[in-house]
Amino acid sequence: MSLVPGLGLAKGMALTLRRFFEPKVTVMYPEDRRDVPHKFRGRLQLLYDEWGTLKCETCFQCAQACPIECIDMGGIDTRGRYHVHWGAPETYGERREESALRRSGRPVPDPAYRPFAAVDLGALDGILDEYDHDPAHMLAILEATQAAYGYLPVAALKRISQLTGAWYAMIYGTATYYSHLRFEPAEASAQAAAVAAHRPPEGAYLAALDAALGKRRNPGKPARA
Amino acid sequence: MVDLLKTPAAWPTILLERASAPDPTDLDAATRAGAFDALRRVIRNFGATATIAMISGVGLRGRGGAGFPAAAKWRLAGSTDAARRYVVVNGYGADPATATDRFLLERDPYAVIEGAAIVAFAIGASEAIIAVRADAIAAIRGLEAAIGAAEEAGFIGFDVLGSGHDMTVTVRPVQGAYMLGEETVLLKALEGKRGQPEQRPPYPAERGLFDMPTVVHNVQTVATLPWIVRHGAEAFAATGTPDSPGTILVQVRTPRGDGIAEVPLGTPLRNVVALGRKLPAGRTIKAILVGGPSGGLLPPDLLDTPYDFEPLRAAGAHIGSGSVVVADDRACTVDLARLLTRFCANEACGKTIPCRIGTRRLVEIADRVADGRPRPTDPQLLEDLSADIVASGLCDHERLTTLPLASGMRYFRSELDEHILRSACPAGVCHPIAVAAGAIR
Repeated sequence: MSLVPGLGLAKGMALTLRRFFEPKVTVMYPEDRRDVPHKFRGRLQLLYDEWGTLKCETCFQCAQACPIECIDMGGIDTRGRYHVHWGAPETYGERREESALRRSGRPVPDPAYRPFAAVDLGALDGILDEYDHDPAHMLAILEATQAAYGYLPVAALKRISQLTGAWYAMIYGTATYYSHLRFEPAEASAQAAAVAAHRPPEGAYLAALDAALGKRRNPGKPARA
Repeated sequence: MVDLLKTPAAWPTILLERASAPDPTDLDAATRAGAFDALRRVIRNFGATATIAMISGVGLRGRGGAGFPAAAKWRLAGSTDAARRYVVVNGYGADPATATDRFLLERDPYAVIEGAAIVAFAIGASEAIIAVRADAIAAIRGLEAAIGAAEEAGFIGFDVLGSGHDMTVTVRPVQGAYMLGEETVLLKALEGKRGQPEQRPPYPAERGLFDMPTVVHNVQTVATLPWIVRHGAEAFAATGTPDSPGTILVQVRTPRGDGIAEVPLGTPLRNVVALGRKLPAGRTIKAILVGGPSGGLLPPDLLDTPYDFEPLRAAGAHIGSGSVVVADDRACTVDLARLLTRFCANEACGKTIPCRIGTRRLVEIADRVADGRPRPTDPQLLEDLSADIVASGLCDHERLTTLPLASGMRYFRSELDEHILRSACPAGVCHPIAVAAGAIR
């Protein structure tokens, strides 16, 4: 409490007056544009749905669109496969369900998470040499990489990205599209089965034809996929 | 390998002229039978412009399903200014139940190689790529052997037949997605990218592989070219119909088995179906699925429809992969259309919303109907949604995915109504929950 009555009030009013004559910060947006770097896209934010789980599906579309390639992610994709890309494992190896903890801002370690085994990338350099480090041969490079390692290790994809200059997100997009490319060793049968159930093979059509042509194998049971 | 079906002797043999050769990769035998005769004539006598004019004059249409005039693509690609041009031969044969393209590649690789070289010469391309399914190992080996032999003999490769043109032909095994049958998706795969279709125009003939003008043809289209050059335009125009001359390979599948036949375009569907194996005794034809997984279901009264591009489209089907499936009266059209739509929806690449979500909704509607818990608005919803997908689709995949259900609604409405109104499946295939529905009431 000040000894001079009304001093606090005067101080407050002085601040108000000073702010009153300062230049305004509001920008009449569509007419006036602030001068920002041309690759500026605003603040990144992850959204949660009404059940408190992350809406992000690790689809990589934002990473693919990002002009300065600052976006990266790890998590479970729509096929139930777990991907960790780069950065400290404890920030990526987290469970999506523990969203309350997540919203507190702290990373949530997943006790079930096992870091990827180290991969020897020597074979990959030979493959890249053979294809001239040319991203136009990406499909052939990925197929040769899978032939060498049995699957596509994330470390190998990163190395391909570094050496060919192709964006990681683009390589990831190619690798996830073709059904013969896989991210896990073939023996990871439980996950392979989940993937197969999510995306039935071409046999589904043949089975439908067989059913229509009266060759239904199990007539007592409706053919439900 | 699939059997060759016996066709009437009066039908022309264009694509399978040399198909009975004991060793299809034997270059000497093939040249004695006329292989690379046409390429020599095109290079020495005709020149590029006259060749395009000739193909344009006979009105050859693409065999890939859409029936686009071949010469129009060549003109566009040839007239577009570019550093390089490409020829891509689509031998992927996406339909898992149809092996017509693979059959042709295995039986007569030289016809495809020669045709590809003719296209390359006509548009001024120096590289032709033949894309084949990676699991068609016999076709790939045969093609590689044939290309090696033809290069050694100087028919392709550097300085073709002393003309100064270079034309390399390569085989590229591709795999991993049903959508690779679509031309822009195939080009994406050849570029090593995610296989998703592109907006057209610009057509691939203007901007295709690596942004260069690219002519994409089905293997049957290019394999027809040498025959046209050797036998002349009149002989070719005498086959098929005036609007779509020539022949096409068809795989006819009935409950007793399947086989491949070469059919002149415009042949009534009845004669095509008659090529296949007989139905089991006492069974009658109920529906004919024309066009592969995204084909239309036609009733027996439409057996007189000509097997040609426009008449089939008008009837609600399409030539597609050249697959004709004959289902007898044990089949349920609702169940069949549902499974076909589900397959197509699962194979969608997901680039556009009508395809990714619209086809999924179609499957859900069909599932509801087949399970006997339809909503009263479902037939209307199906119709509206199909129209929206057709109107807003990016590539033909989603437009054609609506065909099984749309043609089913059009021709087999009584069976659909039986499912919707009475929760019953006349063919006894679906198990709609009629009992359970009664229990709820």
